[in-house]
Amino acid sequence: MIVRTGLTGPFPRSEALVSATRDLDRGRTTAEAVEELYARTEGEVVALEHRLGFDESTAGYLRWPDLFRPFAETWEGFTVGPLTRWLETNTFYRQPILLHPPGRTPGAFAARLPPPLVGAPGAGRVLLPGPYSFSVMLDNRSGETEPALIHRLGRLLGDEVKELRERGFGTFLFSEPQLAVRPPEGPRAEAVIAGYRAVQSALNGGTSIVWTYGADAVPAFPLLDRLPVSVVGVDLAETEVEALPPGPSGVGLGLGVVDPRTTLEEDPAEVAKVVRAAHARRRPSAVWLGPGAPLDLLPWEPATRKLHVLPAVRRALTEGTP
Amino acid sequence: MTRVLFPTQEIGSLAKPRWQLQGQRSEPLDEGAKQELRSWDARVGFAAEAPGVRDALLGGRPRDVAPETVRDLGALFGLRFLETVGLDRVYDGEARRIEMYEYPIRQMHGFHFGGHVRSWDNKYYLKAAVTDEVRLDHPYHVEEFDFVKGHARAEPKLPITGPYTLADWSYNEYYLARQPGWKGRAARRAAQKEFVVDLARRAIRPTLSALIDHGCRVIQIDEPAAGTHPDEAAIVVDGFNAATEGLDAEFTMHICYSSYADLLPTLLEAKRCRQWAWEFANRDSQGHDGYAVLKALAEYGDTREVGLGAVDVHRDTVESPEVVADRIRRAAKYLGDPGRIWVNPDCGLRTRSLPVAYAKLESVVRGAALARAELENPRR
Repeated sequence: MIVRTGLTGPFPRSEALVSATRDLDRGRTTAEAVEELYARTEGEVVALEHRLGFDESTAGYLRWPDLFRPFAETWEGFTVGPLTRWLETNTFYRQPILLHPPGRTPGAFAARLPPPLVGAPGAGRVLLPGPYSFSVMLDNRSGETEPALIHRLGRLLGDEVKELRERGFGTFLFSEPQLAVRPPEGPRAEAVIAGYRAVQSALNGGTSIVWTYGADAVPAFPLLDRLPVSVVGVDLAETEVEALPPGPSGVGLGLGVVDPRTTLEEDPAEVAKVVRAAHARRRPSAVWLGPGAPLDLLPWEPATRKLHVLPAVRRALTEGTP
Repeated sequence: MTRVLFPTQEIGSLAKPRWQLQGQRSEPLDEGAKQELRSWDARVGFAAEAPGVRDALLGGRPRDVAPETVRDLGALFGLRFLETVGLDRVYDGEARRIEMYEYPIRQMHGFHFGGHVRSWDNKYYLKAAVTDEVRLDHPYHVEEFDFVKGHARAEPKLPITGPYTLADWSYNEYYLARQPGWKGRAARRAAQKEFVVDLARRAIRPTLSALIDHGCRVIQIDEPAAGTHPDEAAIVVDGFNAATEGLDAEFTMHICYSSYADLLPTLLEAKRCRQWAWEFANRDSQGHDGYAVLKALAEYGDTREVGLGAVDVHRDTVESPEVVADRIRRAAKYLGDPGRIWVNPDCGLRTRSLPVAYAKLESVVRGAALARAELENPRR
């Protein structure tokens, strides 16, 4: 079994960063001091990812206020809107308001990537909002229909991928909770496929991962199986393995085996058992293991602690250790 | 007790006045805070009840008064603020509370705070993990209620965070670990139910019981998390029923910013809930009737009172009394019984400035009076 591991979303900020960013807002520290701490903490995340044997590094995306802000603040057509609940959690994002059909600003998103990734793009995993979730979670006042917007966002994200491929990045993870929460049908589903086709044509040999979470992904599989992507990920805290459609599947199967909704550490043997069952059912080209949903629903310490299950499971699956 | 038609009530917290915050930190009041204290005192008349505290704060001698004493004055201010507006049921604006999660959890055994979680941007909150069986260390809110009871001129109603919300805002470690096998959806659901019911029985119920022993007759159980997982409505109900089992008081349940239709009819199994205090005004705009969901209560034959959110707490625009009266009329039509309606803001007003909060509550009181007058003296 080919097993790959890595983060699937932002990592929590350390307690030191929590204090520093609070102090910055209250005028008790300087932007330079906070920047220095960001850099140091990103280094710690990269070191952790390396220590755990992850296949790519994310550096935690610690500076991003939320998944959409790097786009809402740099792409044309957007303004940053009100606080809005992030799925079924007690956390929030600022809802992007789309006033006009969107347009990208070349280089702007790349400038928001964590500096350690920019320095070593080949080892980096780029986090992006999926075009469908982006379209659902923004406030569309542009007059564009939803299918047209989904397709347009896919094309724009494809342009980002193209630019980042030229800069040396190779792996792109699209965060797509809404594909599971509100699976699209009809023209919206076709627009999602068209959007990812645009991404695929920009990949040029790179890897695209679509990661679903927030709800049971099984109802979305008729669509997920049609997406032209390298990996489809599901959150196993929400999705039952026995309900996954049987394979063989020509793409990688992402399995969210670390649950950020609880501080309870997963049992490696139990996780390995579930992964074997999922592999037997879907028969994917490879399994990609990671947190089921963004790990920043946890504080730094338990998030760090829980990640240690991943190398243990990988060993169990590839070396046959219990 | 005989009540007027469309009695009015508050729902939750008010913004803390600047003089209270500065005074609690033993800082000399700045001119703005002094002016704020004087002007609200002139308007709602509270500081004369504690002249020593007032004089120390206004006289630049904050260290002459203990922070707890300043908090008492803040509570008195909240009470008089709400009473002067003319509400029938009041509390203290939650003057002693800074949030609704961490304080109750810290009164219990079995929880561990393991760090901060980002709420948004650079805002964070502490989220605890339940790592052992829940046990109550001390009933809470009791001293706070005693103060309100000793000073209130209108009927007091105490708000308390409900068991489902406390559980939903915590990490479930202990109860999940007890579930055998893979911790998937079924295991998480079972563990959540066990956690909520344990919280209700072991912590919330003894606290409610202590409050009732101290004379608390009306208790609002806040469950803002209820709407975030509509498929767990049965667990919300289990928690409510376990928390209130065998207790004699008037219980209301406040839920806000939820799709209420998704919680029905399961929610109606909350046996001792006498009133649904829900938010409606927030969704009553742009041609959308925010009160239409009340038809569902009538369709299910539910005859409990409704705490009608009649002003939006997220906007500064103050609804006119006529708008409030129109909302009451619509609600009465959908419920088929005007006698079951209490009128209130959608939720706590703490995100609004005190002048805006006051103006919105005035509209609640005047709108209720308008609707009442129309029903009692219909035009011929």
